[in-house]
Amino acid sequence: MKSRRLLATTMAGGATVALTLVLLRRRLGPLRRDRGRAALRLFVRGGVRYAVSAPRLFATAGEQRQLLREDLALQTAEDVAGTLGAMKGVMMKIGQMASYVDDGLSPAVRHTLARLQDSVPPMSPQLAAAVVEEELGAPPERAFARWDPRPIAAASIGQVHRAVTLDGRAVAVKVQYPGIAETIAADLRNVALLRRMLRVAAPAQDVDALLSELRDRITEELDYRHEAVSQRLMAAYFDGHPTIHIPGIISELSTRRVMTSELSGGARFAELSTWPQRERDLAAETIYRFVFRSLYEVGAFNGDPHPGNYLFHRGGRVTFLDFGLVKHFSPAELEPLMQMARTICVEHDPGAFRRSLEEAGFLRAGAPLSTQAIIEHLAVFYDTIREPGPLTITSDYASSVVRRFFDLRSPVAEYVSVPRSYVLLQRINLGLFAVLGELSATADWRAISEEIWPFVRGPASTPMGRAEAAWRARRLAMAA
Amino acid sequence: MTPDLYATAAGLIERSAAAYVSGVPEAAADDGLFGPASVAWRVGTDLASPVAGLRSLLMQALHPLAMAGVDQHSGWRRDPVGRLAATSAYLATVTFGERAVAEQAAARVRRIHDHVRGVDAVTGRRYAAGDPALLLWVHAALVQSSLAAVWAFGTPLSAEDSDRYVEEMTVAAELVGVPRPLVPASFAELERYVASVRPGLSCTPAARESMAYLLDPQGLDGEIAGFWQDVRDAAIAVLPEWARQMYGYSAPPLSPGRRTEIRQSLGVLDVMFLSEPGVLEARQRISLRMRTGRIA
Repeated sequence: MKSRRLLATTMAGGATVALTLVLLRRRLGPLRRDRGRAALRLFVRGGVRYAVSAPRLFATAGEQRQLLREDLALQTAEDVAGTLGAMKGVMMKIGQMASYVDDGLSPAVRHTLARLQDSVPPMSPQLAAAVVEEELGAPPERAFARWDPRPIAAASIGQVHRAVTLDGRAVAVKVQYPGIAETIAADLRNVALLRRMLRVAAPAQDVDALLSELRDRITEELDYRHEAVSQRLMAAYFDGHPTIHIPGIISELSTRRVMTSELSGGARFAELSTWPQRERDLAAETIYRFVFRSLYEVGAFNGDPHPGNYLFHRGGRVTFLDFGLVKHFSPAELEPLMQMARTICVEHDPGAFRRSLEEAGFLRAGAPLSTQAIIEHLAVFYDTIREPGPLTITSDYASSVVRRFFDLRSPVAEYVSVPRSYVLLQRINLGLFAVLGELSATADWRAISEEIWPFVRGPASTPMGRAEAAWRARRLAMAA
Repeated sequence: MTPDLYATAAGLIERSAAAYVSGVPEAAADDGLFGPASVAWRVGTDLASPVAGLRSLLMQALHPLAMAGVDQHSGWRRDPVGRLAATSAYLATVTFGERAVAEQAAARVRRIHDHVRGVDAVTGRRYAAGDPALLLWVHAALVQSSLAAVWAFGTPLSAEDSDRYVEEMTVAAELVGVPRPLVPASFAELERYVASVRPGLSCTPAARESMAYLLDPQGLDGEIAGFWQDVRDAAIAVLPEWARQMYGYSAPPLSPGRRTEIRQSLGVLDVMFLSEPGVLEARQRISLRMRTGRIA
């Protein structure tokens, strides 16, 4: 029986890196095949829709007080379990991740998502206060100088409250839903069911890699201390950066279920899209620099490039929020990504690109395919950076990247797989392209990539690049 | 007749969802027959509802005359999903609908029942769907199954709430034409009633065929099929032992781990259900009213 795979992929985009997450292999004949696709669609649809409609676990930040459905507030731990127990919280998380993998959502679904985002219940003030008291040892009115009992936003399996610390700092306090960590941890143990949900979507070894990675990342998100560590790391690296701003963590007010960070203002993504194109281009440039500086300099990337995780300021300054899903790479894991970018973009050596794909485990060695076919299929994410010059990333372009990459009919699909470490990489790539496309951002992405690529270290190519270079020089001087 | 004569079960989730949505009013003029503070609303929104529904059908089918009525009249084989969806719509309307709407729905059911008469091929006995004895069995099977399913897989009710649920549900039996004094009004009465009917129950060929189909419906959408197996196992697990024996089903005792797995599958099914158009909104309308009911 002919077997094919749907590729969902991975790519650290622009400066970038390839590849791939095999999603659908169909070896069981027509019935199973159709079922597989339908299941994936339904699962993604259901998961995504529920993700944004149940307590708003994912979008973060900003002023949304009036939008949260306080009338439906979860008042007890039982309400939380009813809303997020029995696999639902897990599905939401997976749905959230899968949303970057799906072959583009229709405008109608997008509209529904946007509408539903406003309809999700937060915790009641009493329930949130009880969690704070359990975690910090004092009720919020005593742990803080001022405490706003009404949440300003939803967050990763929790919600965000505004407060002022006893020493007078304005802060955002993320409070986790009580019982949710235990529920999700228990549900993640049902590997058989998780596999069943993903089974139709991948060959066995890939499902297991995907599952392990999803379970690890989700488990990390359940303990806010992991997020605090990642955010501290990022904040320390980008300290003083001209346009990238990461709110600092207040360690003494951060625990497993409560995380306190500096409060940040700024415009939401929706507002940014009403700003002049020049401002949108600058914001896009900052996001792009953030993603690839994080990857190459910090060896980490935020796996959740969600428009809700940014706050925008004039002049391209962007505040980055929510480091709950951060993937850390070792130098050995980064090396193949750099090699691929170098061989395809800088050296223009298709044979070497193919070898680097094979060495990294993305492509089976000896596949009976022309190197040209491989390039066409797998180099899609490098299209914006293979040649220098300004280029506009449109929404159409972003979705065509996804479509091409997910093309089931490609003969290449058969021979591609993804080592576990890179399984979630596609989130950042597809998410990044979606955001840049949403902004119709124009830049010389190649030139910016060259600035960032450790194997090129090109000269500053934009005013922001010059400011960044000055910042890097200051950092080095201070380190010396 | 063979199971092959059954139509496909495709669209089960979609059509059940549409049926559910149709029963939940947008802006209710009154609280309906039960009201937001009722146990009936809690049971009606429980995760275990699919198990309750399937167990009900398994129990109801064991009454030869009830089964004959369904088998010979309802178009069940032609459009099983449609038949299930119609029942779902009716239950949602009676549970959550405005009083007048619920009463109209019941009146419609009574009118249909007036035409459902015949002779059971197996026992040779005459039957009429409007017969209070048959209606009472159908009612009792539903009430008992809801309790059993919720106990095992949902949010369990206290003993008082179980009694209250049985008592609340007497209204539903009356609505389709069972005289109030005949209807069990407490959990103990319900159990006594079921025991009293048991000698007349049997697994007729029609019951066996219908239920075999239901337990493994052909054409069920692929993404549902795996989860349906768990619903099936769950429903069989919470049947009375004697009912399982009549069908010849076996069920290993439910381990805590298996129970958790089934609950997780029910959660996944519920998410699929919620992602159908209008379901989330209908749920939210109900939740909101229940919140208010709880505070009041």
